Amino acid sequence: MTAYTICVFTENTIGILNKITTILTRRRINIDSLTVSETERKGISRFTIVIHHESREAVEKLVRQIRKVIEVLAVFGYLNEDIAYNEIAMFKISTPIGAKPLDIETINKTHKAWVVYWHLTYVIIQKTGTEEEIFEFFDYIKPHGILEFVRSGRVAVSKSPQTLVDYLPEAEWEYYQ
Amino acid sequence: MEFNENQTQVADIAEPVAPVTTPELINGSHAVIQSLIAEGVETIFGYPGGAIMPVYDAIYDYQEQVNHILVRHEQGAAHAAEGFARITGQVGVCLVTSGPGATNLVTGIADAIIDSTPMVCIVGQVASHLLGTDAFQETDVMGVTIPITKWNYQITNADEIPEIIAKAFYIAKSGRPGPVLLDITKDAQQKLMTKPFVHKKCEKLISYHPRLSPKEDQVVAAAKLINEAKKPFLFFGHGVQIAGAEQELIQLLEKTDIPAASTLLGLSSVSVDHPNYVGWLGMHGNYGTNVLTNQCDLIIAVGMRFDDRVTGDLSRYAKQAKVVHIEIDPAEIDKIVKADAPVVGDAKKALELLIPLLKENDHKAWRAEFDKFAQIEDEKITQPELAPTTEKIKMAEVIRTLSDKTKGEAVIVADVGQHQMMTARYYQFKKPNSFITSGGLGTMGYALPASFGAKVGAPDREVVAIIGDGCFQMTIQELGTIAQSGLPVKIIILNNNFLGMVRQWQQLFHQKRYSFVELQNPDFITIAKGFGIDGHTCGAREDLNDSLDKMLASDKPYLLEVLVEKEENVFPMVPTGACVADIRLE
Repeated sequence: MTAYTICVFTENTIGILNKITTILTRRRINIDSLTVSETERKGISRFTIVIHHESREAVEKLVRQIRKVIEVLAVFGYLNEDIAYNEIAMFKISTPIGAKPLDIETINKTHKAWVVYWHLTYVIIQKTGTEEEIFEFFDYIKPHGILEFVRSGRVAVSKSPQTLVDYLPEAEWEYYQ
Repeated sequence: MEFNENQTQVADIAEPVAPVTTPELINGSHAVIQSLIAEGVETIFGYPGGAIMPVYDAIYDYQEQVNHILVRHEQGAAHAAEGFARITGQVGVCLVTSGPGATNLVTGIADAIIDSTPMVCIVGQVASHLLGTDAFQETDVMGVTIPITKWNYQITNADEIPEIIAKAFYIAKSGRPGPVLLDITKDAQQKLMTKPFVHKKCEKLISYHPRLSPKEDQVVAAAKLINEAKKPFLFFGHGVQIAGAEQELIQLLEKTDIPAASTLLGLSSVSVDHPNYVGWLGMHGNYGTNVLTNQCDLIIAVGMRFDDRVTGDLSRYAKQAKVVHIEIDPAEIDKIVKADAPVVGDAKKALELLIPLLKENDHKAWRAEFDKFAQIEDEKITQPELAPTTEKIKMAEVIRTLSDKTKGEAVIVADVGQHQMMTARYYQFKKPNSFITSGGLGTMGYALPASFGAKVGAPDREVVAIIGDGCFQMTIQELGTIAQSGLPVKIIILNNNFLGMVRQWQQLFHQKRYSFVELQNPDFITIAKGFGIDGHTCGAREDLNDSLDKMLASDKPYLLEVLVEKEENVFPMVPTGACVADIRLE
């Protein structure tokens, strides 16, 4: 199974999420992660969908089906090597009085993670990175006691020199570049 | 009372030239009707109910301009709109209420999307403040119809109505056509627009650009393959009729001398008399067309999508052939069969560009190979079916006699099952745009309402519905619609007291375990007469001629029930999972 990142640009109207996910559901494709937010263009949303699939051909077909949704402006399918990508994770770590203190230096310098909130009995640490980096940190911090953990969906930007202006709205065929 | 408070009577309706405006403020319901008129709609198939009553109140004022046809069930409205759309090429329009009204449309909408039929469904919805409260007759119609519409949209503001309706028609009709659903809340229907009504036709959308004219390099690549091919074989589908590309297709065939076969929905685009026409494709298509699919060196597919009923087992489908695929929907390219030369565009435009690049050619020897198979099929299947020795009438005889009597020029609307396949096999289509049937979805009950819709769309053509006894009972109530309209739709029931196609499969693949396929039928003629439609039953071969004459001579709707052989099978047949070349003749 290969990871594919599908970036979808749509008009920002009610129900588009449903219109896109139904295309995946119908083909029994599970979504690993999903991030939706408005782009630098007002009224245009960007979906970043991560899926795993054994067939690149099937993913190409999927991309074309997503392109058929009327509100969709452009769709791109990427392999991991085609994109710069990251996630953000937050950890609520137990720090009761008398517990082993957190090694803030390692957390900052080795793991590039930051404490963003302090409480008497816990702290909240924010870590940005790939899925692997986040789980590396997860393993590192686990002995302290993870009270709560959350990971965002992936956000990704293509490594190609093109900008949004270059491919919207005409480049529906330019994926896997 | 609730829905009258904001209504404004509009005395003068502007001419339907874009943009259409009204001097005074009108409410949402009037805006709906005015927008439909501005889009050129003359016929609406509908059924009233609570959440659409404001629009029905408005339509009362426009009866001169709009012919509203009251169906007996919303599914009937959907299929009638499909029949209308298929014969006219215009957008079929349905108007129904929320909840069950909308869900009853669902089968018809699903049918329209898979058969690329343009349709706009206007559906009432509970008032916007009630959305999500499980209000009376509230269904999440948007959610229900997302996977089966080309586009759907919920209108909660009267001001949006003209723009959204214009957009709906543009989307339904352009590119690969399909159904659009508009869910209009009751308050949006009732409220006065806050600005003057302006209906401007939609010609462009920021996110939707159907490609009509193919790219030149694609056409050049396709022409090269066609010119080099020794045994080219052209397949034409529904796309030819939708694009109105029949003339161009024939020009291509005559210039290149390539043999051509039809899909089920492509039937009638090329006359059966044309020397290059070699039959139709697929599960119950012809012998030669299926076998030679696996011997040609090039497939030129025009406006078709390689449905599994056409291809059979894909791993053994035309592996030796290169493929030129002319198709307006880019998502169809490589979806089932890999295209060596895809041409994305409208069939008519694509053929216009392609023809000048093609060499004149002679494929007489290659075409003769089809004749050999045709001869075998004729001896083994066609002749025995057309001149049977059995006592009971065979479906084939009925269809062929009808074909002869109507000179192959009637509009034939077939339902779904054995009678549909027999119609496709034995009606000799000689005029384009003459065959309407539910191809992709295989919707039983389609033909009665669709034939009515076709007759509304083409009142000057003879329209004959061919329906099985099972199918007929799925939408039988539309006899009421037909009777009320008085339109002379001719209905033939081929009655074998079985769900014939399922029975055939049970016989062939389930050891004759006839599981719930035998029907105890009502007296169809009495039922028709109850609706005010005349008819009679024909049970003997010697009466068939006169029976068809009597039916065709009637200037009113007429029902002819023909009692046919009970356990007849449709052959040739490519069983599911088999290869097209392994088509069975018995």
